[in-house]
Amino acid sequence: MAQTTLKPRKYNRREALAGYLFISPWIIGFLIFTAGTMVYSLVISFSRYNLATNVMRPAGLDNYRALLDDPRVATSLGNTLFYAVLAVPLEICFALFLALLLDRATRGAGFFRTVYYLPKMTPMVATASIFLLLLNGNSGAINQGLRFFGIHGPQWLVDPAWMKPSIVIMSLWGVSGTMVIFLAALKNVPRDLYEVASLDGAGPVRKFFSITLPMISGAMFFNVIILTIYAFQVFDQAFLLFWRDQNNATSESALFYAVYLFQQAFREFNFGFAAAMAWVLFVILLVLSIIQVKLGNRFVYYEGER
Amino acid sequence: MRTWPAAFLAATVLLTTACGSSGDNGGSNAANFDPNPTGTLSAWGFDNADDVGKARMDYAAKQLTGVKIQMDQTGFDAQKFTTRLASGNVPDVVQMDREYVATYAAQGLIQPLEKCFSANKVDPKERWYPSVVGDVTYKNQVWAVPQFYQPPAILLNKTVMDAAGVPADDIDPSQPDKLLAAVAKMYKSSGGVPTTLGFNPQATGQAYLWIVGMGGKLVGDNGAPTLDDPSNVYGLELLKKITDAQGGFAKYKSFTDAFDVFGDKNQFVKNQVGAEVDAQWYPNVLSPYQSTLKLAAVPFKGKDGKPVTVATGSSFVIPAKAKNPSAGCKWALALTDEGSWDAAGAARAQTVQQKHSINTGLFTGSPAADKSLRDKYVKPSGNPGFDQVISTFYDVVSTGKSVGSSPAGQALKQELTNAITAALLGQKSAQQALADAQKATMTAYKNVTGA
Repeated sequence: MAQTTLKPRKYNRREALAGYLFISPWIIGFLIFTAGTMVYSLVISFSRYNLATNVMRPAGLDNYRALLDDPRVATSLGNTLFYAVLAVPLEICFALFLALLLDRATRGAGFFRTVYYLPKMTPMVATASIFLLLLNGNSGAINQGLRFFGIHGPQWLVDPAWMKPSIVIMSLWGVSGTMVIFLAALKNVPRDLYEVASLDGAGPVRKFFSITLPMISGAMFFNVIILTIYAFQVFDQAFLLFWRDQNNATSESALFYAVYLFQQAFREFNFGFAAAMAWVLFVILLVLSIIQVKLGNRFVYYEGER
Repeated sequence: MRTWPAAFLAATVLLTTACGSSGDNGGSNAANFDPNPTGTLSAWGFDNADDVGKARMDYAAKQLTGVKIQMDQTGFDAQKFTTRLASGNVPDVVQMDREYVATYAAQGLIQPLEKCFSANKVDPKERWYPSVVGDVTYKNQVWAVPQFYQPPAILLNKTVMDAAGVPADDIDPSQPDKLLAAVAKMYKSSGGVPTTLGFNPQATGQAYLWIVGMGGKLVGDNGAPTLDDPSNVYGLELLKKITDAQGGFAKYKSFTDAFDVFGDKNQFVKNQVGAEVDAQWYPNVLSPYQSTLKLAAVPFKGKDGKPVTVATGSSFVIPAKAKNPSAGCKWALALTDEGSWDAAGAARAQTVQQKHSINTGLFTGSPAADKSLRDKYVKPSGNPGFDQVISTFYDVVSTGKSVGSSPAGQALKQELTNAITAALLGQKSAQQALADAQKATMTAYKNVTGA
């Protein structure tokens, strides 16, 4: 006798509709402002585009082959990967740490939330100006602080070995967006879980790893994916600290993928090459995101899941 | 589901082919220039214009009666310019650094100005210094209307020098041993970090002066880069000796980065430098502190012991697809004629009088205008030190050397700076750093010229 099983529907129609409505502003914006330019850049990546004549001539895969021949593509990709590996875990840890502090704050919670979110509202140029002072190897506040502990700080902005870490430090300044997402997730963790754990004799560390982390794993997963994408697209911080003018001392150590892409497009008018770079980055990020989603599904707990 | 990527790629190929078949609608077409333009002028430049800029714009507007002028008063931005060119919203005239001109010329994005000059009866060689015209000459054609030439010389902080017993003659880059001895006498540090530099060479900020001024050659025939020319090594090695004598490049750079260059705690007021390479505009910044400063100046001397100076500046270009090139040409030329500079000189004199400051002169890029303004407005200030400084800058202006213009101008400057940084940090020898820079710049040169 055949056994029939009814597959439970994961989401109902109303929920699905609400979901689509919530994301529709983004979808509409994407279709109007981004989709067309993405297709156009894909076209350019298979062509030689002359800005003066506005003529595109088919180039087949030449631009993609040229990426392999240019050592700076590999250098900039390596720098970007190094940055991402260093920045993403640190940003996650720092943002989570701040969110945990804010979650515990009772008096003046609104004030502290505002204060910690302010860096996100500060223009990147202003932030970079401050960090140029903070990171000064001789007189910057960061090295002054290290000196207090008997540590001779590095020449953050001049020594090629410390250029990428200096950008990571500047990126940490802007984690408040990530922090807010964590904070929202922390607020949604049912308090009775902690109460029960306390009754069972669990300490703060056990509660964090057994309750907090699993319950905010969805937010964690989202933040990791978003920060990874941002890290691979890093431009502002590197450009403002190291590439803002041609008189500034810099080195290949601070040459990030997006900076090199910008130089190829707008300094050398190598639009086909730059577009090919952009699409290679897109594919890299797509693959990384798919891997993260596959891995993430094993660890992430979704509250609404049935 | 599997068919859509193939369809997408097919559409892409079709689009590419379709775009490729579109006609060549110009880019290198040189316009005919009417000396009496009409219509509307779309100009882009004069970001944050000062008294001099405003006076010149007013003057130029009066020379273009019958032309409606629409200004985009923002700084030049390569990305914005590219977008405007691609979208067809092309300005008639654009202000940009002279280092960029050959790049856009090589791409056919701007037009040569021989017809602009002849229609308006202007001889570039007569109006501007040879080095200034050289900056905007590419493949024997002049591509821009240049403005300003603010040459560097060496400012002396007599307070520091006198205390160390260093005479002005010792600050002479043509005599490295003497210079390094003077640097050692004046250099002070605390905890291994500089507190007073004997000599700030402006290692990366005045890269052209140290390389070309010391007999080097950065640009060859047709604008091809020549960073690996053996003559470029001398200046770079001398720079390394100067920075090594003052704590090494990293500490030197961090120290100079922290200078309050435009403030009342600047490096001269705080005696953080004994001597420093500075462009002509800097004495103007220092003039409010004339009562507390003991200043003097000497020219920068090249390897051959002769005064030399190297500077770039800005210029006006006319895009190849400009709708009203005649108005763009007339406006740019009006901005750089003697009447315009005279109006600027009067405005500056008024500002100086209001601020009870010193008129350090305007360095226009045009010998006749420079002389006229100096005769009319630059008078003894009552501060002999400042007067000697002003006089020194006027003396060096005629010793200017052009770097030459290269289609890879931006890349050349960036790679030269990178090479200087690598050599001064000791990561590479001067030869190796310059060879690597040459390789990278050559790639950019080939990209821009399609060679």
